[in-house]
Amino acid sequence: MTASGKPVLSLTNVVSGYGGIDVLRGISLDVSAGEFVTVVGPNGHGKTTLLKTISGLVPIRQGAISIEGARISGGPHAVAGLGVAHVPQGDMLFSEMSVLENLLMGAYLAPNKAEIDRRLDEVYTLLPKLSDRRHQIASTLSGGERRMAGIGRGLMMGGRILLIDEPSLGLAPLIIEQIYGVIAALSKSGRTILLVEENPARVADLADRLHLLDDGEIVWSGPPADLLARDELLATYLGG
Amino acid sequence: MSDILMSILVAGLTSGALYALATVGLSLVWGSMGMLNMAHAAMLTLGGYAAFTFSTALGLPILLGLLGALVVGAAAGALLYLLIVGNLLKNDKATFESNVMIATVGVGIALENAILLTYGGQPLKQPLSVPGALVLGPLTLPNQNILIIATVIVLMIAIALLLSRTRIGRAIRATAQNRDAAQLMGVPVNQVYFQVLVLSGALAGICGVMVSSMTQLSPPLGNDPMLKAFIMCVVAGLGNLPGAVAAAFGLALLEAFVQYAAGARWGFPTLLFVVIAVLIWRPAGLFGRVQIRRM
Amino acid sequence: MANITASPSRRLSGSAKRDLAISLVLIAAAVALPFMVDSRYILGQIVLALFYATIASQWNLLFGFSGIFSLAQMAIFAFGGYATAMLCFYFGWNVWAALVPGALGAVVFSLVVGLACLRLTGVYVALLTLAIAQTMYLLIVTDTECFTMVGSICRQFTGGAVGFARFGDLGTRALLKGQWLIGNYAIVALLFAATMVFTYAVVKSPIGLAFRALKDNPGYAVARGINRFQAQLLVFGISAFFTGLAGGFYAAHFQAIGPGILSMSQLMFIIAITVVGGVGTFWGPLVGTVVLVAADELMREAGEFRTLGLGVIIALSIILMPKGLVGRLGDLVRWSRSRRQASVSRKLAEQPAPAGE
Repeated sequence: MTASGKPVLSLTNVVSGYGGIDVLRGISLDVSAGEFVTVVGPNGHGKTTLLKTISGLVPIRQGAISIEGARISGGPHAVAGLGVAHVPQGDMLFSEMSVLENLLMGAYLAPNKAEIDRRLDEVYTLLPKLSDRRHQIASTLSGGERRMAGIGRGLMMGGRILLIDEPSLGLAPLIIEQIYGVIAALSKSGRTILLVEENPARVADLADRLHLLDDGEIVWSGPPADLLARDELLATYLGG
Repeated sequence: MSDILMSILVAGLTSGALYALATVGLSLVWGSMGMLNMAHAAMLTLGGYAAFTFSTALGLPILLGLLGALVVGAAAGALLYLLIVGNLLKNDKATFESNVMIATVGVGIALENAILLTYGGQPLKQPLSVPGALVLGPLTLPNQNILIIATVIVLMIAIALLLSRTRIGRAIRATAQNRDAAQLMGVPVNQVYFQVLVLSGALAGICGVMVSSMTQLSPPLGNDPMLKAFIMCVVAGLGNLPGAVAAAFGLALLEAFVQYAAGARWGFPTLLFVVIAVLIWRPAGLFGRVQIRRM
Repeated sequence: MANITASPSRRLSGSAKRDLAISLVLIAAAVALPFMVDSRYILGQIVLALFYATIASQWNLLFGFSGIFSLAQMAIFAFGGYATAMLCFYFGWNVWAALVPGALGAVVFSLVVGLACLRLTGVYVALLTLAIAQTMYLLIVTDTECFTMVGSICRQFTGGAVGFARFGDLGTRALLKGQWLIGNYAIVALLFAATMVFTYAVVKSPIGLAFRALKDNPGYAVARGINRFQAQLLVFGISAFFTGLAGGFYAAHFQAIGPGILSMSQLMFIIAITVVGGVGTFWGPLVGTVVLVAADELMREAGEFRTLGLGVIIALSIILMPKGLVGRLGDLVRWSRSRRQASVSRKLAEQPAPAGE
């Protein structure tokens, strides 16, 4: 719980979707300060839509989302101002800008230069590769470097909660380990994280709580270890 | 012989500078908003007439006339956003590109005719001109041309610095490269669009003053430069600013040479030929990014 | 997920009946018109309006149905007109003989334009076609070389800024004497009717569906085996025939043709007609023509404010009524129908109005 006693992020019966279709069909979940919550589920069932709805890229049709008790309204840039840092699927880097410029864009809402420099130091310490490549144009980075740049950019936002969308997508196993190492470090340092992944095995050791999202609804919640022990759930929803 | 070469060069560089100024405004708007501003020509003309009004009718000094054109152009850009673009953005996103083209066509016609009704159709002389010439040995460089080229170079540098060094400039580039990601960073993209239109309008206003100082003030003043600026933007690849500037100077020089060699009427068809050839070879322009369509 | 149209065959027969009914009413009105209109001036304006409607309906095929924002429509129209006029002027052909070759020439020209635009999309097409049209205009207007001498007067190859005149007419003056205008009206009305029938056939055919797929969902279209390049060339070619033919008839009716038809304001009028009427709808161009020509006549009183008014109308229409009058009407009909059927089966899938509405 935060100082106010309210969860950092709170969803209540959220419905959203695209065109004539509802993808999220009544989602409720909370993330408390310092928690690492993960949402898993088969592809196409709403994980990315969930994060996009929280960050405002997809409008809410029903229900409510609150940050520390304050209800979210307004477009994505307003939500960013409330402290939601969304690291989107596929990175969405500014491909013609350098790594440094991408990071600086992350700090768009930062109050002053001193704060920006401080955050930059933190990011470079956590992700030294970014420091090495700070003037390299984003489109020339490797997959793993791009992923790190995306996370770095999200960290530059400061923010109360970090939303991370499938950090392992399209990466080699070795790189995935590095990325998760970084994420683990972030969680240990007290960051509030909401992460979505297709495969729960990777996050089993790291996450505090896990939700299983199927067909737009949360069908199971609990500690990750419990899910991994339930073979029938794994088989039904995640193909073993 | 080199006299003629020199004068062609000067003419080409001058018109290149003017086209470059026009293309920057267009390219900025297209790159960040995906919008083709068909009213750009009218905004150019508006700037020229504004300067004329400020200096002639109101008797203000020349520099204030130029400033007046800048302010009027910026205001026109602001109005364009508030009345037209802002509303169209709320409608269907998929048809925004063509809707805004049509709407700005309408605005352009209305504006050009409003100018026609206010000032009449007969050409007027732009008082903002600098007489005299610089004589360097065998070369005679008219001061007017030097001033135009110098001004444009200064403006280009200023815009380059704005885009690369400032927070606003970064936000504009970010919005152009990935609008959704920019929003996630907290960039109020609608405000960015507004700022870009204001900036583009100001540039158009200044451009209009300078174009009219080389030719004359008349209501269809902006049409020819705008179309050529479009062509240059397209050759470079819409959204690529440095490329557009380079294309502007390059094509202006080509136009100047062709007009000398084959006659004035062949200038425009040459540009057309170049743009068709470039687009066949590279459908997104020489330096353009091919938009990957997400189905 | 691609939107799927609901039972096309069921919808087709309903809307086809309505289209037929509308057509019959229009035919009756067209036949009755010359008897009801006294003023020569008004009849002449109606003929002009029919030309506009014809051009707009073909531009609607390009832009409305296929999503190709071509700004060369008047250039194609002019090509047909000039080709017809030049065949008569230089080779002494009868106008009627020159009309179809002129139209075919326009088709070839349009195909060339389409080829130049083949790999382009959206804005690039608009710019290139605009540049082509502007080039055509400039080449004609700046043509000052004497190609032939008519008496003591120098004539340029392209007619120059003056254009061509006195190369022949539709023959109605000789046949009908004082009533020639009614004869011309009948001819042009038939041209328009033929154009509409042809357009209807195209729109309802598989080719028409391919065009629509080009605009609505290009990826889906390609995935279904519709060759984008072929379809694009096809629509450039098809839409050019009646446009060029209209150009020829235009030259014959006015017994003159000049670069004035290539002016921006003429092109804008065509665009305005299509937008106000309803882009991508079948009856849109006709509705738009009626509304705008009437508005233009009313604004004639306002004198120089006409073009200003036109610009404002275009801008306001696209902002307030992006689907045009026909589109709005279609919305209203659908809305009231769905309210009546609220308890019955589910609503028809959301789709932009298909042809015929």
